[in-house]
Amino acid sequence: MNKNYIYLTLLMLILSGGLFFLPDRDNTKYSNPEDLMWSIVQPTRFVSTDAIAKMIIENDPTLELIDVRAADEYGGFSLQNALNMPLDSIVSDNYQEYLGIDGMNTVFFSNDDIKADQAWVIAKRLGFDNVYVMKGGLNCWMSTIIKPLEPEETASSEAFELYSFRKGASIYFTGNNIESSSESKKTTLNITRKKKQSVAEGGC
Amino acid sequence: MHVHELNPKRTAITLLIFTAVIIVGLITLKSPRLKFEQDVNKTLEMIALDEGYVYPYEIADVIEGKADTVLLVDLRNTFEFAKGNIPGSENISSVELLNEDNIERLNDLKNKDVCVVVYANNQLEANGPWMILRQLGFDNVKLLLGGYDYYKQWEGKLADSYGDDAFLRGAPKYDYKELANSTKVAGSENTPKRSTIKIARKKKTSVAEGGC
Repeated sequence: MNKNYIYLTLLMLILSGGLFFLPDRDNTKYSNPEDLMWSIVQPTRFVSTDAIAKMIIENDPTLELIDVRAADEYGGFSLQNALNMPLDSIVSDNYQEYLGIDGMNTVFFSNDDIKADQAWVIAKRLGFDNVYVMKGGLNCWMSTIIKPLEPEETASSEAFELYSFRKGASIYFTGNNIESSSESKKTTLNITRKKKQSVAEGGC
Repeated sequence: MHVHELNPKRTAITLLIFTAVIIVGLITLKSPRLKFEQDVNKTLEMIALDEGYVYPYEIADVIEGKADTVLLVDLRNTFEFAKGNIPGSENISSVELLNEDNIERLNDLKNKDVCVVVYANNQLEANGPWMILRQLGFDNVKLLLGGYDYYKQWEGKLADSYGDDAFLRGAPKYDYKELANSTKVAGSENTPKRSTIKIARKKKTSVAEGGC
């Protein structure tokens, strides 16, 4: 037998032995800081309360709402079909299976958007994709969807369209009609105006 | 009969090339430039604590130039920075924050025990960059609550903002349950109900006193 084969085998064994001395590395699915920073500086992670309301009403099957507030706050009130995943235990194994499901869009929300954003950074660092933050959180949800403000009479027609959607959504979520003192006046206004952002649109 | 046996040298040559490739691979193997130093659980602990945040009234001394162990860093872009900023602050926009020279500068500041207070227009904008810096191991980086918007509101009398808590985030502004279930939801006439949640107030201090 060729001696070279023995040398070759020995060399392979020695080299493979070196694998034991390699330092522990994080799983490669984890994102690196630069990529994370890149997605942080872009506002694409924010979803408006209007978009969420629309998805809930249309029963969008890809929407996964996650309430990152404490369990007792979640017990008091939360959005339809939202899961509770308190921020401090978001990395526990019980919750991991709910994140990063193929084809699902995970949206974090809290009272406003700080906690949800923190949850987003953590989830992103752990390598989960398709995670979003509900802009303005529940406070914004209440002020835009549940109790929408009537736009000023001089507001654009888009603002009125948005308002009528919000009114409809409010009825859907609360089962009540919103009393409006000057509704009759609004209907006569139908002038097309320049596209302009109004306060009512932006909200939070 | 093996092909190799026809030319015994061939085996040796293959062997040499093989080892050469492995050695070259090992030499050129480089670790990533930036690594997350902080464990995810530590990060979760950190964001819940008060220690990583700076309250607006705490930087009053820094603005007056009384503290040289604190550096304010504006994370907004150059245009916004030029339009107005907190006096004494330095502009490093979020996009460039992880550039080599900025990381070097941050390392330098960390070694000098300088407390770096980052801010943007509001807390939300600065939250991500702040969390990244912390996770990279810059424990001397703190986040200014309220951000530039709040500073602008109290410009010139920032020290008096102690007692005001409009910069605090995370508390519910409405009684959600009541709003969502009430039999009659009034329109805009109904003033939002402030929740009764009490937020524990931090003892009045200044970052200038203790550094980081």
